[in-house]
Parts: sequence; structure tokens; C-alpha cells
Amino acid sequence: MAEGRYDSGDGSVAGRQHISARFSAELEAIKNALLEMGGKTESQINLATRALLNGAGDVAQEVVAMDKDINRMEVDIDEQCARIIARRQPAAFDLRLIISIAKVTTDLERIGDEATRVARMALKSSIREPVRGAESQTMAIAEHGSAMLRRALDAFARLDVDAAVRVLLSAQSAQTDYEEGMVLLQAAISNDPTSLKSCMDQIWALRSLDRVGDHACNVAEQVVYLVTAVDIRHVDEPTLVKLLDSGADT
Amino acid sequence: MDHREALIAASNNRANLNYVAPGIEVQGLSLTYPDEPNALIDINLSIPGGEVTAVIGPSGCGKSTLLRCFNRMNDMLEGCQYSGSITLGDLNILDPMTDVTLLRRRVGMVFQQPNPFPMSIYDNVAYGPRIGGLRRRRDLDEVVENALRLAALWDEVKGQLGKNATVLSLGQQQRLVIARAIAVQPEVLLMDEPASSLDPISTLRIEELIYELKQSYTIVIVTHNMQQAARVSDRTAFLNQGQVVEYDATDKIFTNPSQRATEDYITGRYG
Amino acid sequence: MTNPDMFDYPDLNSARIRDEKINTLMTAATGAATLLAVVSVVAFLGFIVLLGGAWLAEEQALSATVGQQHSSNFELLLFGGRELASSGGVLPAIVGTVVLTLLMAVIVAPLGIVVALYLTEYSGGGWPTQLLRIGVQNLAAIPSIIYGVFGLAFFVYVIGGRIDELFYASNLPTPTFGTPGLLWASLTLALLTLPTVIVATEEGLLRIPSSLREGSRALGATRVETIFRVVLPAAAPSILTGIILAVARAAGEVAPLMLVGVVRYAPTLPVSIEAPFLQLEQKFMHLGFYVYDLTMHAPGSEGRVGIVAAASLLLVSVIVSLNIVALLLRVRLRRTYVQSGV
Repeated sequence: MAEGRYDSGDGSVAGRQHISARFSAELEAIKNALLEMGGKTESQINLATRALLNGAGDVAQEVVAMDKDINRMEVDIDEQCARIIARRQPAAFDLRLIISIAKVTTDLERIGDEATRVARMALKSSIREPVRGAESQTMAIAEHGSAMLRRALDAFARLDVDAAVRVLLSAQSAQTDYEEGMVLLQAAISNDPTSLKSCMDQIWALRSLDRVGDHACNVAEQVVYLVTAVDIRHVDEPTLVKLLDSGADT
Repeated sequence: MDHREALIAASNNRANLNYVAPGIEVQGLSLTYPDEPNALIDINLSIPGGEVTAVIGPSGCGKSTLLRCFNRMNDMLEGCQYSGSITLGDLNILDPMTDVTLLRRRVGMVFQQPNPFPMSIYDNVAYGPRIGGLRRRRDLDEVVENALRLAALWDEVKGQLGKNATVLSLGQQQRLVIARAIAVQPEVLLMDEPASSLDPISTLRIEELIYELKQSYTIVIVTHNMQQAARVSDRTAFLNQGQVVEYDATDKIFTNPSQRATEDYITGRYG
Repeated sequence: MTNPDMFDYPDLNSARIRDEKINTLMTAATGAATLLAVVSVVAFLGFIVLLGGAWLAEEQALSATVGQQHSSNFELLLFGGRELASSGGVLPAIVGTVVLTLLMAVIVAPLGIVVALYLTEYSGGGWPTQLLRIGVQNLAAIPSIIYGVFGLAFFVYVIGGRIDELFYASNLPTPTFGTPGLLWASLTLALLTLPTVIVATEEGLLRIPSSLREGSRALGATRVETIFRVVLPAAAPSILTGIILAVARAAGEVAPLMLVGVVRYAPTLPVSIEAPFLQLEQKFMHLGFYVYDLTMHAPGSEGRVGIVAAASLLLVSVIVSLNIVALLLRVRLRRTYVQSGV
């Protein structure tokens, strides 16, 4: 597999250390910062979901507060990327690393935004009443998105192309939950027009949680690009499967 | 105080964790010589100690001339005249009463082309200390080993100190020359395009060495390679036509310079 | 087949053939010239070795039959055979030549180096320097006999005469230094070879890259320290080359020496193992002059060529030996001070 080239015996980002140890350290640091940001968004999503389903206002507040940190981290990491490009003129893997990190921060920040949106819905609905109707679907979508994100970040940390492709292939599996949830909520509105406001909030939340998976896919695509230098955005599923199968000799 | 004591005092000084090499203050420095009446015009720079300051600029902008003011190498030029002042700690560099040989032991210099003397590796490194009066073999051995270790060359040459220095590779020669310069325990290291004759890997080695040396030396590096300035320096001065256009933190200069001329130069839009 | 976009070089082949012809011609011409030079040198050396050797063999055979005490070729050469006896043998001439040449080298080396140092390191390089440089180079073109005349007029009469007046007044009117002798001959030869040493040294000094001088100055060395510790050592091989050339030239000179100190027969050697070791004012014998003298004055005509060839063989051997010693020294120096940079 391609990542064999980047097997690091010494714990560096990619294989052997640079002559400039400081450069290696800088890359290591920026990668760790990204993973930390990813971890934070992941827990943000989980907390937001809990807040939504349990109507926990304090947890929702916490999620909203976390977004500030996430935003600051995005700006920091992007700044570091610019600094490394200006000062180090990275090439090859190093260059792809910086490009993909800069892109991944955007997706992570968006995930943070979606989590915040969910948390705001939770705040509103917690004032009125707890959500009803599509709890299990909401739960499933949230768990699915969160798991995709976690696996995509793992793949990034380990430069694991196979894992990244599997994240991409799993993107559709929450589709039925999403559609079911929508049907349920639409039915709830028809049954009880007074629940329109609450159900609309839920639909928005559902949609936000569904988007998390899309962003996780983007992260996974960057992992494939980072390791293999192949851009697999806008590639159809059979090609992805082929990539996975032919992985051994890439 | 004889040279040996001075060397030992200097290295003890350096061993102190809080030691910071002195900075250089340049005030209203102008320099003229017959061929170039406006070689340098009213230069004001405050070069901090223990950091790497890069001087960049187009060919003939005066960056090497500026560097050579710091150890009075311009004195060798016929008809060269200074005005303004340069101070290193308590030393007024441009004062005609300043002993240039003593000045040059405090301000070492590394040149563009590696220039090892055609003698053994050992004798090259021992050259400065010997000039300074260090004679005892044991002292010299120690000085030579320390300097070569600092210059990251010891492991490559330790078994062959008697070998002629000119048989080393260019990259090794340049590190040898750096070892030779630091063997006299200077406070400042001037580097005049130290990597321009080296291959990219040797260049990176030199740059890494510069980074490691800045713990205990004030380093001023002149380079026509902007990327190199970006990689190695903490602060960058952009010189054009004998004048300082901009002097700021390297991060600032290379991501968001405040002068249009600087931006044009570092983005390759110059001229 | 004929692609209009393709360039067509119809003459490429004929041009190549022409180039090859020229190459062959040049190789043949330069090779022939080299062969001619080699043949001349071989013929010359062969002439000396064969004739000289034949004479020696014959002389030995003669000695054996007559039963003289000289029995080996070596002794024969050193102390003279039947026909050399009148001149006292070759040994004093060899000693005279070697002592003269070494003394000359000792005088000319520092003088030439100092002048070259002035020209390259100290003089501003303006027109007076250029004039001096041209003057020095032209000195080399003056016929050597003129040096002999100058040596006699200036060294022997003016300086030697003054020395006698000051220090050896009691011996006057018998001159001590005011007459041709070893010192004056050495000085004359030193003057003769001075341009060679200056030019070679200057070239050596100019070849030292200025970056070495700057490197030394930047380490806090003064100009003098730089010259003595970096520049001169690095230029040593070139300087030695100059001295080798000077020695080679001086050892072969005869004409000026006839005026300033060489004699046909000197009763004592200018060197001895007792103090004062070196008799600077003595007249001495010289191989070159010996060859001349033999050619002009040896008795008989049938053996003359043989004797002369044998003496020439010795003269060449002495010069070659001196050069080999100097070459070995230069190789050693070069190993220590490899020419750096260019």
C-alpha cells in the first residue's frame, strides 16, 4: 500500500526526519493541532445530539461555547499553514499535508457550525418540550456521522488509505434513517399542525447531523489525496471500490 | 588576560543558560567609496542578540557591504569612508581607535565560497586560537574538538584531523569554515551567502546549523535566496539601493510585508 | 519521407569528414614535432653517455694494463686519469659547482620572495609596480656574460675593494675580497636568477585566492600573520618551482663565472670540515668551466671527445641530482599544502 512509503519508524509525520528537525517538529505540531480540533468537533457533535435528545440546556450551552474554541483553532491552524508555506516551501508529501490540513480545517469548522446549530435547536426545544417522533433516526444519523468523522480522523492520523475509502463507501448507509426520519416528522406535522415549529427545528437538526457525514467524507478524501496524491473527489462508487481492491499494489 | 583565559571565560559564559550574545545597534550608518558614493545611506537597524537576522535584497543593493561594516572588512577597500555608528555591546565598532583584530575575534565571518586554508583540518580550526596566542596542544585539542562538534562536523572528520581540508566536500568545507570561525569564540557570526555555492542538501545542513548556533551567537546572514532567509531567520531586513526598505519579523515580512517594494521583491515582481 | 518540417543538413557528412581529416593531420603534425624533440634529447643524452662511458671503460682498461693505482671507474672520474691529472680531477669541480649553486639558492630565494611579496601584497599595483615588473622580466633576457662583467666591476672591485680597505687593510696590496671568489660568483648568479624566482613566486602568490587572505584577516590575523601563515605556505610549491628553475640555470652557467671566481685549478676546496667551513673569498673549480677547459686544452685530439663527454656526463648528473632533490621537496610541500580553490 502506498502509505508504506510513509511508514514512520520514528514517530514522525511521514517517514524519515527532515534535515531541519524544526521543520519536522512544525509539521508534527500542526498535524496534532488538527487532530485535536477534530477530536473537539467530534465531542461537540456527540454533546449536541445528547442535548437535542434529552433537552439538556446546559450541555447545549457548552456546545455553543465550544464553537468559539473551534473557530480559534481553525484560524490558528490556517495561520500556521500559511507560515509554513511562506517559510519552508514544503514539497511533495509535505506540501500535500499542508494543503489537506488547510482544507480539513474548513470541514471541521463546518462540522462545528452544524453542531452549534443542533445545540441551538436543542436550546429552543428544551424550552418547549423534548423532541418527539424521530428520536431513533436522529440518534442513528448522529452516531453514524460521528463515527464517520472519528474514522476519517483516525485514517488521517495513521495515513490509512483503506480506512479512508471505507469511510467514503459507508456514506450512504444512513440514507434510509434520514428519509425515515423526514417521513416521520412530516407525518407529525400533518397530524398536529401546532407541532410545526418544533418539527421544523427537528428537521433542521436532522439535516445538520446528516451534513456531518458529508464533511467527514471530505476529510477522508483529503487522506487519500495526502497519501496517494490522487484526487478522488467526484469519483463514483465503483471506482472507489476498485481503489480499495487494488490497494495492495498501489 | 591572555587568550587562553579569554577563550575559557567566553565558553564558560556561553555555558550559562541565561547567556545571550549581544546585539548590534546601527545608527545613521552611511558608507561611501570612490566607485560607489551611495553604497549605504542612513542605515538604522537594531539587530537583537541571540537571533538570526537576514539581510535580503537585489544584487548590488549593499547587503554584503553592510555585513562587512560589522567586522570592518571594508577597511581593506581603497578610499572607503563611514559615517554614523555601529555598536556591539559596549564596543564602538566604527571608532578608528578600535583594534580591528580584536573586533574580528568578537565578530566572526563566513564567506560565500568555502575558503579553508590549504592545511590540515586541525590546523584550520586551530588557526584563529593560535593567532590569538593559544599554544598548548591540550588546549588547542579541546578548542578544535568543541568547534567541530558545534559545527556538526566532528563525527565526519574525527579520525582524519590531519587530512588536508581541501579534500573535504564543499558542504563539509563550509561547516569547517564555520567551525574555524567559532573556534575563536566570537559573539557575532556574519555569514555572507554561506550556502550559495552548495547543493540543496548541504544548504539545508548549513541552515540547520545556523538554527542551532543562534542559541549562543548573534547571527547576521546575507542571502540572495529569499526562501533561505524565510527558513533560517527570525528577523529580515530588505535592502534596496543602499537603503533599508523594511525591517521586521521574518513571519511578517514573508506573509504580510508593509512596504510595496518589499512585497514586489519577495514575490518576484521586482523591477 | 520528406517532411518539410524537418531540417535537412546535406553537408553534415562532408563537414564531419573534413573535421576528421584536420584532426588526423594535427595529430600527425604535433606527434612528429614531439618525436623530433624526444629524439634530439635522447640522441644528446645517448651521445654523452655512450662516449663518456666508452672513454671511461677504455681508461680503466688502460690503467689496468699499465698497472696504475687507479683501478675503478669511480676513482678515475673523481681524481682524474692519465689525461686529467693536470687539472686535479673532477671532484673539486663537482664540489665547487654544488657549493656555488647552493649558496646562490640561499641568497636568491629570500631576496626573490621578498621582492615578489612587495609586488603582489604591498605595492599598490599602479604604474611604478608595472614598470618594476616589466623591468624584472626583462632582466632575464640580458646575456649572462653581462652579469659577469657587472659582478666583476661592482661586487669584486667596488664592494670587495671596500671590504678589503676596511677589514683586511693589513693584507693589502694582496686583495682578500677584492678579487674574484666564491661569494661574488654566488651573488652574480643570484642576480642572474633573481627574475626567475621573482616571476615564479609572484605567479604563485597571485594564484592564492583572495578569499584565503580575507578568511585569515576575518579571524583577526594581521596582514603579516596572514602572509606568513597562509599565503607563503600555500605558495610554497610555486616558490620552490622558481628556485628549481634558478638552480637549473645557475648550475649550467659558465660565462659569467670566468670573470668572478672560477679558476682552472684551485689548490684547496672552498669548503672544509673544520671552521670556518666555508671560504667565501676563495676561488674555486666548476664543472662547466672544466668541460670548457678540457675541450680547449686537453692534450692530443683522439681522446679529447671522450674526456669532454665524461665530464659533461658528470655535469648533467650533478644538475639532475640537484633538481631531483628540489622536486622531492616540492612533492612533500605539495602534499602538505594542496593548492586550494582553482
